Amino acid sequence: MFAKLKKKIAEEAATAPRPGGAARIPRSFSKESITSVGADSGDDFPSDGSSSREDLSSQLFRRNEQIRKLEVKLSDYAEQVRNLQKIKEKLEIALEKHQDSSLRKLQEQNEAHQTSRAKMAEGMTLALEKKDQEWREKLSHLEKERKILTAQLQGMREQSLNLFQKRDDYDELEGFQQQELAKVKHMLLKKEESLTQMERELEASRKELSHAREDLQASNALSSRLAAELQELRQQYAGLEAERDVLLDAEESAENKITNLEQRGHELQVYIQQMSVDLQNAQVTASSYEKTLETLQAEHEALKLEYEQHKQKMIGEVEEKNQLMGHLQGKLTTLEKRLEGNLSGDEHVRELLQEKSALEQQLESALQQLSAARTSHAESVSLLETQIHQLNCKVTEGQAQLSEREESMRSIQESSLHQLKGLEQALRLANEAAAKSKDDVIEREQQIQKLQANLDLEIIKSEEAVSAVKHQCAEQVKRLEEQVATLEAAQEAEKAGAQHKISQLEKENEELKDSHRECESSSRRQESELERLKAELSSRETVSVEIAKALEETRKHKEDLQQQVADLSLSLKEKDWLIMDKTDTLLKKEEELNGLKRGHEELRLQMQQSQTDLELCQRQAAEREAVMGEQMSTLQEQLQEQQECWLASKSQTAGLELASKALKKQLHPSEDGEMEPNGEVAAAEIVQLQKENRELEQQIAEKNKMIKQLQQTMAELKKTLQKELKIRPDSEVPEVPNAALTVTNNSDLNDSREINFEYLKHVVLKFMSCRESEAFHLIRAVSVLLNFSQEEESMLKETLEYKMSWFGSKPSPKGSIRPSISSPRTPWS
Amino acid sequence: MGGFFSTIFSSLFGTREMRILILGLDGAGKTTILYRLQVGEVVTTIPTIGFNVETVTYKNLKFQVWDLGGQTSIRPYWRCYYSNTDAVIYVVDSCDCDRIGISKSELVAMLEEEELKKAILVVFANKQDMEQAMTPTEMANALGLPALKDRKWQIFKTSATKGTGLDEAMEWLVETLKSRQ
Repeated sequence: MFAKLKKKIAEEAATAPRPGGAARIPRSFSKESITSVGADSGDDFPSDGSSSREDLSSQLFRRNEQIRKLEVKLSDYAEQVRNLQKIKEKLEIALEKHQDSSLRKLQEQNEAHQTSRAKMAEGMTLALEKKDQEWREKLSHLEKERKILTAQLQGMREQSLNLFQKRDDYDELEGFQQQELAKVKHMLLKKEESLTQMERELEASRKELSHAREDLQASNALSSRLAAELQELRQQYAGLEAERDVLLDAEESAENKITNLEQRGHELQVYIQQMSVDLQNAQVTASSYEKTLETLQAEHEALKLEYEQHKQKMIGEVEEKNQLMGHLQGKLTTLEKRLEGNLSGDEHVRELLQEKSALEQQLESALQQLSAARTSHAESVSLLETQIHQLNCKVTEGQAQLSEREESMRSIQESSLHQLKGLEQALRLANEAAAKSKDDVIEREQQIQKLQANLDLEIIKSEEAVSAVKHQCAEQVKRLEEQVATLEAAQEAEKAGAQHKISQLEKENEELKDSHRECESSSRRQESELERLKAELSSRETVSVEIAKALEETRKHKEDLQQQVADLSLSLKEKDWLIMDKTDTLLKKEEELNGLKRGHEELRLQMQQSQTDLELCQRQAAEREAVMGEQMSTLQEQLQEQQECWLASKSQTAGLELASKALKKQLHPSEDGEMEPNGEVAAAEIVQLQKENRELEQQIAEKNKMIKQLQQTMAELKKTLQKELKIRPDSEVPEVPNAALTVTNNSDLNDSREINFEYLKHVVLKFMSCRESEAFHLIRAVSVLLNFSQEEESMLKETLEYKMSWFGSKPSPKGSIRPSISSPRTPWS
Repeated sequence: MGGFFSTIFSSLFGTREMRILILGLDGAGKTTILYRLQVGEVVTTIPTIGFNVETVTYKNLKFQVWDLGGQTSIRPYWRCYYSNTDAVIYVVDSCDCDRIGISKSELVAMLEEEELKKAILVVFANKQDMEQAMTPTEMANALGLPALKDRKWQIFKTSATKGTGLDEAMEWLVETLKSRQ
């Protein structure tokens, strides 16, 4: 018994350090505190049962505290056990007494505990059910919303599909209508083109006609030009005639010149005669000169006479002057007498004397003058004599001169003779000259004749020329006329041709007209066709009108549809809005969910913590259960032992009753809440904790399931949302730029490869399309681009050479090129 | 079969077509020059992915002119066309100062090819009608042409859109090809 207890205690002591320092603390605890703790723990459970899951942590905390308390209690129990061991022996007697009551109490307490347990379980189940219901309601709400959303989505898709279909139908209708319209337009255009072509042909024929007319006008102009040339030629002819007249005039003037020259010859003869007359005159003058000589001699004699006369005159004059002197002297004397008479005698005399003296002086001077005059006379006579001498000399000189003159006369005569001779010579010369001139004249006449002949010749020539010219002109004229004729003929031919052309053209015109008529008819036909077509068109227009109507209807439809679309778009927008709202709400719910997740995670963490705590607690509890079980078993054993002991010690109890009574007083309060309730409460607590643990685990599992479901629904909703966003490209899609970015990135990656591919494509295309000589240069590029081996490249070259050359055998294909063919396909070659 | 008959005629009369490559960076004006030479008109072109081949007759000489696309990704394929080439017309954009270095490196790499050892080089300093165009001597120095040995080369300033300079260049090319024969 005791050994076991001691072992227990030892185990307790060994296990006690595990909970830590807390195990040592309880020794200071009083029994009252323990009971109060136990009472508190007992009071906690109902409140826990009604509390929500939020209080779980606090509960757990409390439980932990309780567990601690329990540990404390356990340690207390150990102490109590020790005390009990001590007290046991004292209590054995009391125990016997108390056994029944205690057993009863135990049973009652067990029952109460069971009832309370059942109540607790019921409360917990109720709370769980409530929570389940709440969660299910939430789930059902979410599912309903999801269903509504999916239904809306499906409706939207259907509507959008309907819309697309209607749009497609509308597009098809429009396409058909446009095709028909295009056909009709095409036919119309063709007809218009044929019409324009016919008009062009007509215009071309008109142009040809105008061309022909222009040719006619040109030929007319040519003929007019030829006529003008004819007139010019005639004018030239007239000019030539005028020249001929001029030449005739020149001839006449030459004849005049000849007559003039003859007249000059006559004049020259006259001049010669005059010259002979002059000679005779000169002879006459010579004789006259002799006469003048004679006259001069006579004059000399006359001069001599005059001189003598002058001498006589002078003498006479001197005598006269002497007489004058005498007179004057007489006068003087008379005057002196007069003076004496007039004045006083003396004075008169004196004056007369004076005058007399003066007159005497005058007389003297006059005498002097006379002598001077005589001297001057003598001088003049001498001078005259000298002059006479001189004159004689002069006469001699004159005679000499005369002789000279005679000589000169002779010489003159000679010279005149010479002159005469010269003149005669000159005459002769002149005659000769005249003869020459005559000859000249003759020559000139000859020349003139020649000239005349020439003139005649020229005239003839000119006439011939004129005639030739005329002839030529005539020929030309003829030619021109012929040309004109030919031209006229040509013109006529042209005219004929033109007429022919015109007729042809007219025919053509007629043909054209016919064709035009045909065209017109065709155009009429075409017009009729057109009309038909128009009718068709009209019918088609009606059709088109119908179509238009249909179109309008369709437009209306379209408008309706557009309205519907608008409505739908509005509804779409609204639904977008709704979706947005719902996405918002979803987001909110996601946020809530995230919050819930967070809470859940927190709860999870708490749960994990609590689980870990629980596990720890469970472990501890299990340990404690085990310990407690062991304790219980040990206690039961102890109890049994104690009972046995009690039974055995009944005998001992008697002795101990007094002590036990005393102890009873002490024990009563402790026995009620201490011993049995404590162990039962702990067991119940553990059981409750286990249950709660299980419930919490279940809740956690459920919540995990819920979360998984919600995540799945979330994923589905996201998928549907993404699909919807992909279906509607016009709406603002936030994911598109990302896709584009990824595409561009890919293009950047594939850029060089694409360029290489393009290059390969281009080279291969050229290789296949270009000439062999060019292709031969491309083999290398192709083989490099396609990574051909040497053999393949040489094979290509050989085949190309074979193609380029005229002869040679086709090179056999090598096995490496056709790996798909196992055996050569031409076994007979 | 037209090609067949032309080959017959060419084989009968021995007038071999001269094979000319027009090379150069993208956007230098190769395709415009080709069609200017062939048709005598300015055509609107798109970037050549691939090549253009045309037969051009100039002074009784037939040229098979290949205009190869000059984009960076298809420049490596130039070497596929080098065999049996008589002359190379290398077109350079006179206004493109930034890429003349690339043009030079491409030209040098091309001239090092064994198949082009005997080819005559004609450099077209194209787009000379633009204001900011470099002079031919600058271009020749920038392309490193004076350093070339064992190579008949000549640089011409051209404008494919105006049509200037092309005749002189083709004249020189014809004379050089005739003198080499």
